Amino acid sequence: MDSSGAAGLSAFSNADPKTQIMRQIQQQGAMQNARMLVEKLNQHCFERCVPKPGTSLSSGEETCFTTCMEKYMQAWNTVSKQYVARIQKEQQGGGLL
Amino acid sequence: MDMDISNIDTSAIDRMSDRDKQELQQFLQNEGQKARIQASIHSLTDTCFKKCIAPGAVKKGPLDKHEEPCMRQCVDRFLDGNLVVLKELEKLRGM
Repeated sequence: MDSSGAAGLSAFSNADPKTQIMRQIQQQGAMQNARMLVEKLNQHCFERCVPKPGTSLSSGEETCFTTCMEKYMQAWNTVSKQYVARIQKEQQGGGLL
Repeated sequence: MDMDISNIDTSAIDRMSDRDKQELQQFLQNEGQKARIQASIHSLTDTCFKKCIAPGAVKKGPLDKHEEPCMRQCVDRFLDGNLVVLKELEKLRGM
């Protein structure tokens, strides 16, 4: 994803304003989502992979980060599917609320 | 979720047709809901990862036969819990 803002804007400057605004909002949403994932990945994997921060990141710690990231993203996908399925089920059932 | 709309040309919105304005409003509502769902997914993943992926270094490979069902059940039970909380509060409100 390119850094939104200027670059993103100029690329669609000749589209109609409505489409342009929609694009921008969509991009910002995607950016926010990605930023959140990066933050969570960092938080969890740092916690697990670097119990005692040394003078540099060891190769073992780096390998742990890779493994941990892979695991977290899979967990994210599983949650995503399960959560969406649940929302759909509850909407069809007239909502349990 | 906060959306940065500072660099959107608001005067362009004023000049839009009512139909375009309406379409834009619907779009915003949908995007807002999408953002809320995404935020819930992040928060659930955070909570359930702590519960389901054994503490310490993460095991290599995909989610194993314990981790995967644990993640799914964690999502469902969390939402069940949410319903219990809401129901209980509803009861209190009626008292």
